This record gives sequence, C-alpha cells and structure tokens, in this order.
Amino acid sequence: MNYSDLLVQGLVEGCIYALIAVGLTLVYGLLRILHIAHAGIFTLGAYVGLLLTNETGSFAAAFVITVVAVGFFGMAFYRLFYEPLLDKPPHVALIASIGLFVAMEEIYRIVFGATSISFLAPPLKETVEVAGVRLEEGRIVVVILAVVLIGGLAVLAGRTRIGIAWRATVSDAAMAESFGIDLARVRYINFFVASALAAAAGIMVALLLNQVIPTMGGVPAYKALAIIVLGGLGNVKGTLIAALALGVIESFGTIYLDDVLDRDAIAFAFLIAVLMIRPQGLFSRR
Amino acid sequence: MLQLDRLTCGYGPFRAVTELSLEVPDGSVLALIGANGAGKSSTLMAVAGHVAVMGGRVLFDDADITAEPARSRVRRGIALAPEGRRLFPDLTVQENLTVGGYSRSQRAEARNVERVMALFPRLEGRMKQLAGSMSGGEQQMLAIGRALMAEPRLLLIDEVSLGLMPTVIDVCYAALARLRDDGLAILLVEQSTQRAFDIADTVCVLESGRAVWSGTAEAAREDPALVEAYLGLAG
Repeated sequence: MNYSDLLVQGLVEGCIYALIAVGLTLVYGLLRILHIAHAGIFTLGAYVGLLLTNETGSFAAAFVITVVAVGFFGMAFYRLFYEPLLDKPPHVALIASIGLFVAMEEIYRIVFGATSISFLAPPLKETVEVAGVRLEEGRIVVVILAVVLIGGLAVLAGRTRIGIAWRATVSDAAMAESFGIDLARVRYINFFVASALAAAAGIMVALLLNQVIPTMGGVPAYKALAIIVLGGLGNVKGTLIAALALGVIESFGTIYLDDVLDRDAIAFAFLIAVLMIRPQGLFSRR
Repeated sequence: MLQLDRLTCGYGPFRAVTELSLEVPDGSVLALIGANGAGKSSTLMAVAGHVAVMGGRVLFDDADITAEPARSRVRRGIALAPEGRRLFPDLTVQENLTVGGYSRSQRAEARNVERVMALFPRLEGRMKQLAGSMSGGEQQMLAIGRALMAEPRLLLIDEVSLGLMPTVIDVCYAALARLRDDGLAILLVEQSTQRAFDIADTVCVLESGRAVWSGTAEAAREDPALVEAYLGLAG
C-alpha cells in the first residue's frame, strides 16, 4: 500500500468516526450527558438497515427508512431514559447510559442471535478508481454521506431559525428559554439528528464489513468518546477534525505501529497523550 | 401592568426576597436599588420566571403568571436583559437578535432589527461579528437590543452601568429614556443610584430581601440620607 491509499482509507474511517462522534458531542454539548448508549443506537441502525435491505432488496430505501426510524427511536430514548434524569447530577445519566448500552447489546443478542448476520447480496462492492486509488463503491458512499449529512447539519445549525435556537440553547438554555425557545423541542431535534447520524454510520459499517454482530458498538463507543474529548467536548468542528485525524493516524498506524500498538489502541494512546499535554482537548476554547 | 404581591422567592432553601410588594404601572419606570445581595436581581429573575417563587404572586396585566414558565412570559410582553448580559457569545450579533425575536414572527424580525439599529447605531455593520468578541458596552447594547426584539411592553434590565465606561452608560441610558418616552415600562435594577433616580418614576430600596423604602424618584433624589442609609457610599 502506498501513502495515498493509506490516506484515503484513513479518511473513509474518519468519516465513519465523524458520523458517530458528532452525535455524541451534540448530546454532550446540549445536556452534559456522556451518551454511551449512542453506540447501541449505532448498532441498532446496522441491524435495521441490514435486515431491511435483505427484506426489500433495496439498500437505498432501507438506508433512508432506517435513518429516519432510528432518529425517532433516539427521540423516544431521550424521552424515556434521559428526560427523567435531567435534574439529577450528570453521573446519574452517565451510569444509566452505560447500563442501557449493555442492555441493548444483550437485547440484540436475544432478538437477532449471537452470531453475525450478513447481507444476502452485498451492495456497493464493485471497486472503482478515484484519483489513482482503487476504492470500493461503499467507501465512496461513506465519504459522500458524511459530507452531505454533516454539511446539511451545518446548514441547519447556521442558517435556519431553529438551528440558531438550537445553538443558543447549547450556549445558555435558561436565556434561550426566556426568549420563547421550547427547550424540549430542541432536545428532541438534537436526539433525532444524533441518532440518525449514528444509524447512518451503523449501516455503512455493516456494509463495509458485510456483517452485523450484537457487540459491534463496543469499539466505536470508546473511540467516539476519545474523539469528542480530543475535539473539546461539545465542539462539533473539533470533533470532526479529531475524527478525521484519528482515522488517518490509525490507517498509517496499521503499517508503522503494528508491532507496538494494536490499531484499536491508538485512539486511547492519543487520548492519554492529549490529556497529559492539553487536558481541555485539542480544540477547546475554554 | 406588573404587580408583585407579597413575593417571596429564592434558591433552594435560601430566601433571597421576602414578601415584596410593588407595582409598575403601564409605561412607567421603577428602579429597584440596594446593596449587593439585597435581592434585586432575584426579584427581576422571578418576574422573568427563572427563580423559584415560594410565596406570593406575580401579576401581569392582572393575570396571575406566578407559575408560568419563562417561555410564555415573553409572549405576554416581558423581556429580560439580565445581570452579566448573558449574550450567546458564539452566536453573531444578528443571531443573538434572531433569538431575541424568536417569540415573534420572522416578518417582525426585520422590522425590529431596524428599530434596534436606530437605537444603537454602533451595532450596525457588526451583524456578522460574534457577540462574545465585542466590547462590554456593545454587549450591553446588544443585550438591550436582543430584549427589544421580543417586542416587550415591560423591559427587565439588570445593572445597565456595571463595568462600563461613563460615555457608554450615557448611550444606554439615553436609549432607555427614549424607550420610556415611547411608552415602554421598565423595571430597572441598579447600584448606581444617580442615573437610576434620573430615569425612574418610582424607586424601591431593598435591604436583605425586604423593601425598606419606596416612593417617587423625586422624593428619592431629594433625600440624600436615603442613599447613605441603605446603600453605604455605593451611590
């Protein structure tokens, strides 16, 4: 493999990390909850997307339905589990979230079985050549999706009234409310967006690996956590940069660090190093 | 317009204000003064709906709004320019104003932005700047402007002059005087008594959460002992 291959593969991975981690940082920014169960929602997206594809035969239709449905699931998840805990200290929601994540993995094991399931006819597996790099179509789709979905999010947050209200709520919820913003509505939108992005990432990972297992959220759970800390908790831009950087570093690490460090350990090594040098995160303003 | 009827409020077990009664008639200005910790800001925040009311009532246009969330009070016509301004620092000036006018229609927004620009020409041409990057005076102007975007009939404003240069304080008070002349009622919290007395119709002095003096601004101005007795030399 040459450098451009490694770079491109790393960016693809980084796009997946970004889709997962942006939702996590959005939830943290708004509610100061470390939403560990976000990785369980990612896995749910993978299952629903794969099963719907196998059922309908159309990956595109399955993708859209899954993303929207899991978005609504995220809203219900917030309403059922987090809203009753908002008045409690933040560690209460954190513990609940870890418990929910474990429970979700077990539920997937019971409902879908402990062994992996695969696409009957794996879509987007052709390879094409882009700028001298041979790439699976699925990987190109990942990049396009990340750009479109996160770009869409940026437009929503920056250009629309509800997006401005959202950012105002993140900045000072009490003030936002006193100008007429419905905080509950902002929180629902936040969970819809976060969960829909996680679902999109889940389906794409299912597609690239052509398998879904109950525990597939485990590694993304801690990596996304490392990414949002590196990006400065709640900082979306920082999270995007950290996600892409981690993807690329891991990609090069598999070649150059393989003897010393497992690929999945790089995120943590990186996290520990940053916490020692810059505990507020790489891109935090505080 | 606004009536507090034996209002008691505070935070958790701590009582900040005890049985405070006062009235702000349509289009008039009431200055709430007192030393640090006397309960001025708590009173203001209770009217806005941000402090827990433990007893008594808050009436607006004769409707009991004591239990109403902050969000519906702004629709009734109460807007807040709070202590420390509490702008949204990561949002632009334009976006701060948009949030201020969130309870009104998008069509009203453009008209109200023009009103704010007419009042504070210094904000013009800064619409794209982040609110947090502006000077203290400009931030105070924006805080007042943001509140005006809600088309209030009662403006709650806390410590207009705190930490600002005298020339900037003049600009802010001149704006408040214009708003008063246009018929806006104002409930003003101040430590700097002279300016408050100049703009107010009535004055209420708080000490340890209780009203210890109230009367017309004229009477307050002519009573030099008042400031010394209740505010130390802060005035």
